[in-house]
Amino acid sequence: MPTWLLLHYRLPNKPSALRVYIWRKLKRLGAILLHEAVWVLPDLPRTAEQVQWLTAEIQEMGGKAYSWRANSILGQDDETIRQQFNEQVDAIYTDLLKKLEKPRVDLQEISRQYQQTAAQDFFHSRLGSLVRDKLKSKRGEKL
Amino acid sequence: MKWLTWKNIGVDRMGCIWLIRRWIDPQAEFTFISSGEKSSVNNGEPFDIPGEHYSHHSGHCTFYALLAENKINDPILTRIAQIVDEADEVQEVTLEPAALGLDLICRGLRQISRDDFEALERGCLIYDALYAQLKMDSPNSP
Repeated sequence: MPTWLLLHYRLPNKPSALRVYIWRKLKRLGAILLHEAVWVLPDLPRTAEQVQWLTAEIQEMGGKAYSWRANSILGQDDETIRQQFNEQVDAIYTDLLKKLEKPRVDLQEISRQYQQTAAQDFFHSRLGSLVRDKLKSKRGEKL
Repeated sequence: MKWLTWKNIGVDRMGCIWLIRRWIDPQAEFTFISSGEKSSVNNGEPFDIPGEHYSHHSGHCTFYALLAENKINDPILTRIAQIVDEADEVQEVTLEPAALGLDLICRGLRQISRDDFEALERGCLIYDALYAQLKMDSPNSP
């Protein structure tokens, strides 16, 4: 049974920069926002540490934050959430695969985006290894 | 003096321990308490524990806080703080490719160590090596 990390927080309305800052951090981590209310991440050593620091940081900013480790009561929700995480990275991978088909591609830029996405690919999407293989073979062509 | 942190040290705390030993308090003694356990003043100066003085602030890691607070002025250490920041915090823009590798190695070091005391010795060796090489590569090296 997978364990999830949940984060719920409130920040003062102003300055709005703080809200944007926290939101961007969560996006960068690859977290999913459920019903505009609760952020979800899989419970991994790295994500757990980041949620711990985010919680402290939000409190330091004068906000309120609660974070939990949680298991779904209905097991089927796990699969739905996992799919959402996969869809999130697959959208980017699909875009990268499309770009890789073009005759003149910026391999450096694509590899940068690939690495960023791979850091959020918690459930090892199949498309991720496709992008990786494509990048490797393209790199070979350049020689 | 006594220093206190949570068990299972990783990239930031290994770096902090190394920094404390080499630059702040050579006689430092470290105690490791369970994750989530409240620190008490008698046990030592807490670091890298959420809510404590020496911890993450404004998106910077604890290594950065220790360096800033103790007014240590060494460009190599500033560079290492940047690396630890990128390894241990969420960053929009990254400048240090070594960060991810260092994070992985420190996590792995803890895995193959008996306890945090063994891990900290090994971690210090890694940071000694990092410091030596960055110094060698720096523009001011002889």
